[in-house]
Amino acid sequence: MTATAAEMLVGASSDFLKRFSPFNRMEADALAFLAGRAVLAFHPKGSAILTPEMGQARSFYIVQRGKVQARQVGATAVTEYASMTLGPGECFPIGAISAARPSTNSYLAVEDSFCFQIGADDFLQLMQMSPVFHLFCTQYIASLLNQSRQQLQTTFTQRAAEQQTMTTPLGQLVKQAPIHVAPETPTRGALEKMAEHRIGCIVVADRDSRPVGILTQSDLLPRVVLPGFELSRPISEVMTANPHQLPTSASAYDAALEMATHGVRHLLVIDNDGKLKGVVSERDLFSLQRISLRQIRAGIDSAQDVEALQRASRDIRALALNLIAQGVGAEQLTQFISALNDALTRRIIALALERHDLYGIDHAWFAFGSEGRHEQTLSTDQDNGIIWQCPELQDVERIRQRLIAFARDVNESLAACGFPLCKGNIMASNPALCLTLDEWKERFSHWIREPDPQALLNASIFFDFRVLHGNERLGDQLRNWLNRNARNTPAFLRMMASNALQVSPPLGRIRDFVLEDDGTIDLKTCGARLFVDAARILALRTGVDSSSTAQRLRQAATRLGGQQEEVAAILDGFHFIQLLRLRSQHLETEHGAPGDNKINPDSLNELDRRILKEAFRQARKIQLRLKLDYQL
Amino acid sequence: MSNWLTRLLSGSSRPNTELPHFETRYVVVNTEASGLNPDSDRLLAVAALGIEDGVLDPRDSYYAAITPSADDALSGLLDFISGKPVVAFNADLQRALLGHTLGNRANALAQPLYLDLYYLLPALFTEKRELPGRLADWMALLDIETFQRHHALGDAWAIAQLFLAVQGRALSQGLATASALAEAEHAYRQLRRQA
Repeated sequence: MTATAAEMLVGASSDFLKRFSPFNRMEADALAFLAGRAVLAFHPKGSAILTPEMGQARSFYIVQRGKVQARQVGATAVTEYASMTLGPGECFPIGAISAARPSTNSYLAVEDSFCFQIGADDFLQLMQMSPVFHLFCTQYIASLLNQSRQQLQTTFTQRAAEQQTMTTPLGQLVKQAPIHVAPETPTRGALEKMAEHRIGCIVVADRDSRPVGILTQSDLLPRVVLPGFELSRPISEVMTANPHQLPTSASAYDAALEMATHGVRHLLVIDNDGKLKGVVSERDLFSLQRISLRQIRAGIDSAQDVEALQRASRDIRALALNLIAQGVGAEQLTQFISALNDALTRRIIALALERHDLYGIDHAWFAFGSEGRHEQTLSTDQDNGIIWQCPELQDVERIRQRLIAFARDVNESLAACGFPLCKGNIMASNPALCLTLDEWKERFSHWIREPDPQALLNASIFFDFRVLHGNERLGDQLRNWLNRNARNTPAFLRMMASNALQVSPPLGRIRDFVLEDDGTIDLKTCGARLFVDAARILALRTGVDSSSTAQRLRQAATRLGGQQEEVAAILDGFHFIQLLRLRSQHLETEHGAPGDNKINPDSLNELDRRILKEAFRQARKIQLRLKLDYQL
Repeated sequence: MSNWLTRLLSGSSRPNTELPHFETRYVVVNTEASGLNPDSDRLLAVAALGIEDGVLDPRDSYYAAITPSADDALSGLLDFISGKPVVAFNADLQRALLGHTLGNRANALAQPLYLDLYYLLPALFTEKRELPGRLADWMALLDIETFQRHHALGDAWAIAQLFLAVQGRALSQGLATASALAEAEHAYRQLRRQA
């Protein structure tokens, strides 16, 4: 009897599924299996169904009714608005569940929604049972994901850009009445308010709502924390008096100019009576910059030859410099540079593919090193490679030669567009870096088994791979394999950790900083790299798939049960060092000197010096964690 | 007499209705009859669905026609309920129909906690509708479908989905347990009586 009821309901579920692709094409037994395993759950409007923070995806969902919004979290700056709405019959998270990793998107119910769900094991079994479903998932990962996201990305960016431009009056830009406190408020109360509302600054205003001062997050370290300021004293003693103000009628452009001129990140907007109307931050303005971003993007996508791409490359640089000048944050900036460089590289590859017939060869273009981590600065040379799979019954070496010819073409075009050829020959045209999936595995496992210094150096470059073009699945497979193997070889991770600890942050016991002979600090080798190396080890250990340092640290911390505030502080340190690198490269490029990563701390102002010191302390903190974990 | 009644009456104590929804098993019960008058109409079929961990699993279900054996059909149903909180639409009618068929064994129905969506839906989704309505109205309001209307299991499937939505809404209103829902239902009924 019970069987009859279950049969009826399973039949009903499969009738529902049959209305949608790919379930309508699915084999009968596979569909019956799916409908039999699928349970139904309700997700109220506004609730999160799946987020990256939830860790490895455990269920596969099919929307039965309602609307679910997929939103990319983190990743590249251009995708900030990229979101996709899933309706009945659409499913998620295909990539995450097939690779058994956390979803990179967050999935939110934007309406009261019902979703069918099956467990990860059942999902994998279904993939094995059903060639149709298998093909659907693989293709989804390889193409649909890429293409439709990119398209959505462009349209969303365009829309965002068209809605608001730099001529928007500030009155329209400020969203809500700002949180403000009276001058006599005890500092503790004001700070609690900042924490409660998660705001970057607090405005101090008199009884008539006229602003008299401001206190920002970056003031806290030099004015409150370090001097040990007594928190019961009124905020007026610690705030910046006479804050910069603009009328509501001023434009976003005026605000950008004001911020750049005075080196501030927040401006107060006041009405005709001098009353506080809102706060504009550099972040608000950055989102308006998308107009130029869109133009560059369109220039790249329509480019038909290298000359056109060279122009686009110069535009990227000019815009990046412009943004640095405006004081945009390092994380956004590097992601933004990375996103445009990705688009440029993809276009170069697409143009090269018109000249090289690679039809039928499953392959993907890898970016390594800083490009692989989405952390490119302005002076980065090429680090790339190719992963491919040899079709059956074909000669491996002949195909490799074809791929190398194609790669050489791409490498040269990239060089023409301002990415110098790599001195160490870490380029796809190098036969040693144009490898099949199995060959890559073999190389990687060699380094893991015998971690001599060269192998560890290689690991630090190549393990940060990322697929830029082609079949993403190949990269996923390699990443999955690598994470499994690295995790199972603690000896290798320990060697990586010990290697990462060779360089310690240049903090002095007596003086603030330990300097090199020429009186400078190398921000790359003694700064950024400390964070990057530690993040890589934590990611390998916890099986985090992302190659970006920020993502690696955030996700690893979730799995290791770390405090998000602690991670945020570490990342602030990392981003500050990256920002200093970009800034010094910017100045040096303007003077025509080659960009390097050295900085003379004496040339910094007092505030930046202190923040830099704090950033190095964060590096020390994360190194300490490695020391404890691996007992080094 | 079959041994289900003895099993039912001897062992189980009242279910713990103070546990949060995700730790409570609910049983959605629905019937199909020749009409809506419990005195004159005959029961045709019974259906039930289990809801655990906020999830509706098609395999966790029960359906039986009254013919050939009403006794088997109902003992199976009471076994399936096994004292867990029952969710129904128009619970009084359902109980009356079941009670008639059970005859002198009807007191077995007194045991579980009953939640009636007929009252709970307007009590929780006031913005959609403040007065009780028919099942079809609520299905339309909450955009819920089923594979077969006016069929014991088909309607149970719709009622179960409505109850999932009720759970979601209840949580956001701090009604985290079965007894909290029962109280909300009671309060709403009082209110309607006064109105």
